[in-house]
Amino acid sequence: MLDILSPGHQTCDGIRRRDFVRVGSLGIGGLTLPNLLRQQAAAKDAGRSVSNKSVILVWLAGGPSHIDMYDLKPDAPSDIRGEFKPIATKVPGVEISEHLPLQAKIMDKLAVVRSAHHTNAGHGMGSQWMQTGWHATIEVNDNIYPSCGSVVSRMKGPNSPGVPAYVNLPRKVSFGNAAYLGASYNPFTADSDPNNDNFQVRNLQLPGRVDESRLGRRQSLLSELDTLRRDVDTKGDIKGIDKFYGDALEMVTSDKAQRAFKIQNEDPKLREQYGRNDLGQSCLLARRLVEAGVTYVSVQAGGGWDTHGNNFTSLKDNLLPKYDRAVATLVSDLAQRGLQDDVLVMTMGEFGRTPRINPGAGRDHWPGAMSILYAGGGLNMGQAVGSTNSKAEYPTSKPATPGCVLSTMYHVLGIDHRHVFYDEVRRRLPILNEGRPIQDLVG
Amino acid sequence: MFATADKSPVFPLDPRRRFPHRSNQLSKIARMQTTGRLLFASICLALHATVALAGGLTVEPARVTFDDALAHRQLIVSQDGHDVTRRARYTSSDLAVVTVDETGYLSPVGTGNAVVTIVLDGTTAVPVTVGELSQGRPINFDTEIVPLLSRYGCNAAACHGKASGQNGFKLSLFGFDASIDYQALVEEGRGRRVFPAAPRHSLLLTKAIGAVPHGGGKRFDENSEAYRLMQQWIASGVPASAESTPTIERLSIVPSERILQPGSQQQLAVIAKYSDGSTRDITRHAQYQSNIDVVAIIDDAALVKATGNSGEAAIMARYMGQVAVFRAIVPHGKPLSEIAGFQTTNYIDELSVAKWKKLGLQPSPSANDATFLRRVTLDVCGRLPTVDETRRFLADTSADKRQKLIERLLNSPDYAAFFAMRWGAILRNSKLAGADQASYAFHNWLKDLISRNRPYDELVRGVVAAAGEWQDAPAINWYWQMRDDQLHQVTADTAQVFLGIRLQCARCHHHPYERWGQEDYFGLAGFFTRLGRKSFGQPPPYYSSSRLTTGEKNPVTGKVPEPKFLDGEYAEVTPDEDPRHALVDWMTKPDNPFFARVLVNRFWGHFLGRGLVDEVDDIRETNPASNPELLDALAKDFVEHKFDMKHIIRTILNSRVYHLSSEPTKANEHDRHNFARFYGRRIIAESFHDAVDQACGTQTRFNGVSGSARAVDLPHEGFGSYFLDTFNRPKRVTGCECERSSGATLAQVLLLANSNDIENKIADGTGRVARLIKEKQPAAELVIELYLAALSRFPKKNELQTTVNYIEQQQNKQRAAEDILWTLINTREFMFNH
Repeated sequence: MLDILSPGHQTCDGIRRRDFVRVGSLGIGGLTLPNLLRQQAAAKDAGRSVSNKSVILVWLAGGPSHIDMYDLKPDAPSDIRGEFKPIATKVPGVEISEHLPLQAKIMDKLAVVRSAHHTNAGHGMGSQWMQTGWHATIEVNDNIYPSCGSVVSRMKGPNSPGVPAYVNLPRKVSFGNAAYLGASYNPFTADSDPNNDNFQVRNLQLPGRVDESRLGRRQSLLSELDTLRRDVDTKGDIKGIDKFYGDALEMVTSDKAQRAFKIQNEDPKLREQYGRNDLGQSCLLARRLVEAGVTYVSVQAGGGWDTHGNNFTSLKDNLLPKYDRAVATLVSDLAQRGLQDDVLVMTMGEFGRTPRINPGAGRDHWPGAMSILYAGGGLNMGQAVGSTNSKAEYPTSKPATPGCVLSTMYHVLGIDHRHVFYDEVRRRLPILNEGRPIQDLVG
Repeated sequence: MFATADKSPVFPLDPRRRFPHRSNQLSKIARMQTTGRLLFASICLALHATVALAGGLTVEPARVTFDDALAHRQLIVSQDGHDVTRRARYTSSDLAVVTVDETGYLSPVGTGNAVVTIVLDGTTAVPVTVGELSQGRPINFDTEIVPLLSRYGCNAAACHGKASGQNGFKLSLFGFDASIDYQALVEEGRGRRVFPAAPRHSLLLTKAIGAVPHGGGKRFDENSEAYRLMQQWIASGVPASAESTPTIERLSIVPSERILQPGSQQQLAVIAKYSDGSTRDITRHAQYQSNIDVVAIIDDAALVKATGNSGEAAIMARYMGQVAVFRAIVPHGKPLSEIAGFQTTNYIDELSVAKWKKLGLQPSPSANDATFLRRVTLDVCGRLPTVDETRRFLADTSADKRQKLIERLLNSPDYAAFFAMRWGAILRNSKLAGADQASYAFHNWLKDLISRNRPYDELVRGVVAAAGEWQDAPAINWYWQMRDDQLHQVTADTAQVFLGIRLQCARCHHHPYERWGQEDYFGLAGFFTRLGRKSFGQPPPYYSSSRLTTGEKNPVTGKVPEPKFLDGEYAEVTPDEDPRHALVDWMTKPDNPFFARVLVNRFWGHFLGRGLVDEVDDIRETNPASNPELLDALAKDFVEHKFDMKHIIRTILNSRVYHLSSEPTKANEHDRHNFARFYGRRIIAESFHDAVDQACGTQTRFNGVSGSARAVDLPHEGFGSYFLDTFNRPKRVTGCECERSSGATLAQVLLLANSNDIENKIADGTGRVARLIKEKQPAAELVIELYLAALSRFPKKNELQTTVNYIEQQQNKQRAAEDILWTLINTREFMFNH
């Protein structure tokens, strides 16, 4: 799969018509550069973003309960409103759950969109929809469309060399893959919990028996003995591998990436403040990574958000305290470092939960309404955007589709969400096929 | 000829018209129907006749007759085999009869005879007759307005053609359903879209010319022909087309193929043939697309330009659901009369040579024995040659040693194991949904068929018509893994895997690059509508029911799909028969145009690194084979040998083409499609995993399978392995070879170059290095064995010197040897099959 930017006239959605021309499996003369090498030059030519903005997505896998977190309905009947009460926040008129007190205190640094919605109540398809902007037609266990992290990796690369562009913490997030963009844009993952005392990223430290001088000797042997001609393949894979060898060995030998991942260097007090659990420490590590130049980090916010039973107990005793602390500390920490406009924090899951409480004191899957939290990125903070009906079932104003939710994020990064890729069957697929940035946030 | 109502010809049944138009039922306003007359200019001419005249000018067509005011004709003028259409000058002898523009495009004006004179270092002329013109005749919506909606991109997938439409205005994708488009324009939008009382105020026109804000911008201007036609149609009261409007049957492009020099150009003319036998020049109405625009591009007036790079481009013309292709060949060098130093052994070589000569391509020399051994062992057995195999093969001096090697490998169990794995991946042999045991059985079933070299049709029948319990018919796992959306997934996989047709687009709309429509898709789906499964077991038993087992409907007919062969008739199947057998019977007929082709193309892609048609399972007119004669010959050979898979593999492997070096020469460095050299590629995940073990002399243990099982022996995707996941082992969730990605990742490099996993293999206490040290092998011998094990060749003199020096300089010889092995595993030479 390849995409080509070429001049030409615009179609109704602003896509250049000549983009339609897919340079199949071409590889003619000078055009065999692997995507990776080409993208930087192409990005500049196309006027694409070369900013240093980055995104931290806190992914609430399972589906967070909007009506118990950001869109409470105290006037609804008891089988809908549930046990939780709304509390005032720092922003007059905006109320959120009593179990998010830390976020309430910094509401001026947050914006909640209450009117997000879609129509698929399955975990797989809902996750794919919210992380890619595309509604898949079949349920499979991997991406059919590229996740937004992969798209960002492809369009932007890392903000600074020597670190990966797209990282998942603490492990791979479901539906975070690159699909037809190619495996090179899958997330890099630590595969280890940063809350563990002996946390380290897989294969980033030198193996036990190898020290730096031995690695150096091996590298010089390799440069002498690796003599296969670079033009024996026709797809540019060899050049791609050469580039990754450069990056990887730099990550191993320079201490930049090592240092970024070295969460043990953080002040123990700050670590406590984020919360000594996988979510808190992943959020802290995410901050370190974007500071070092990673462009997109997805943090899997533990598990357990799929609260079919004991919704209220799970939320107030376990899920919300950790989540409230991790996100509020992350946002405050970024602000303190002057990064609030450079880093966008988003929190969401695949759908909201049923307003009507089921007999097991749980709530089930509900894509008809959900709340999305945004913080920073230069967006307009201190507000609640959109509203739902009296039972938090459907948006009643400013409905936001998954495309709206994600195009707002692409807007922050300066990525044109109408840019076109081609999949394996040569369908022309824009990054998003619907939606536009949420005006109250970007306007 | 311009047919009149009183002698209406009989039309073949147009599939699109088998069912009443929805718009007819929903019609809210009285619609004037266009008369039953056929509104096509016929071009009375010998289309293929050309006239050669003074100055070596040839013109196509030789004469032109117009019977319709809206007809046009593009002339094609050549000189010495080169296109000069845009260089020639044109004059009409009577502007009251016909006009001609500077591009050789003729338009009728009034009744009479005239001559168009063509001048360029000489003169020639084309007589033009304009018959009685139907001036002011009604515009035909289906055949004249809908093509404009395509031509100007209104009904494209990104605009009003997408499923949700655009800002409330929805057209059928690419104009495949004129009745929907008519309804959208005439009956929806509260009458604002077309406004017969004041045509110029119709939104259709004001939006299109940008007179009012339009998200899609300006599409054409007020003095364009498109504007005139639409205005005329609206003014005449927005008539719908008559049911008897002839439909388009075929497109042809004149010329169909040309050899172009870089920078040169070629004018095309595109002719549509209709169901009433009439023809029409639609050059200025079709849409065009080049598949490789660094070789050739095309503009809206059908002028092709060779952009500078050598190669071949397929240029598609699309019009009303029909496609045709022009092949632009830009040679790599001067045509050759022979390919010196290349001995052909079989038809593969002969047909390749024919193509190379035409393109001026010189093949690379033959690869050396060591490279060939490594290549063929990886391709046939999915593993590296052992050190012994390599030593023996390199020492063998017999002339036919490559031939003997091919036979030995094809008869080894590794061949069956490797190909069972490859088939298992595209046949979705997964352990999901409780199919752990069944996936072993399916894997073994495939391995057994392949090792006994049972014919390919037997394999396909076993899969497509699988029935019974998994213990007896393990291939039902193929169905079970598609259980969530069985009818559609099975239809799509059958088309793609066994027929090489990517038909899934046609589930919802006409295939944009092919002739397939929803009728074809649901016709194929019709063979699977009686497939039943029991409610117990994982997978449960599958059976053919006498009654329908699906409620899925063909959205076009509203009925459950009925079985119909692609490009053929509806199938007659009694309730006691399993329709799937009728399907396989049709697939495996010797004259089936799809079945043999996709298999030989798949094999070609496997062994040569790229299909003759690329991707290997996307065979269609608009994606032509790089060497169609070779694809035909392979398919014919496969049919004649009763679908003998080993025969085809043997034929490919014994061709000299397969033996060529991967190192390009000056004469073929730009070749990407014609196999003038071997195309190196990364070794696939499973084989690469095993290659690391082989080089290190180690054995990875997988849980739950025998201790000697290698990665290529694993029956399904569920064996945990960080290595295999990192190198993108397929998850077996599609029937597409493309599920394997060759792209590199940071994690792969970190794993190979900087991990305890690999370090432990290199330094394994019973591994290769440890053994060589224990045997106290001299440094040179040690290095030689490492080279033979990892790269299947002896080290070159300088390599031996470098590595022996390195070992001698290091105090710890074992560690030094480990460093050499680490280095070899991290070379591109190790990672690639080249």
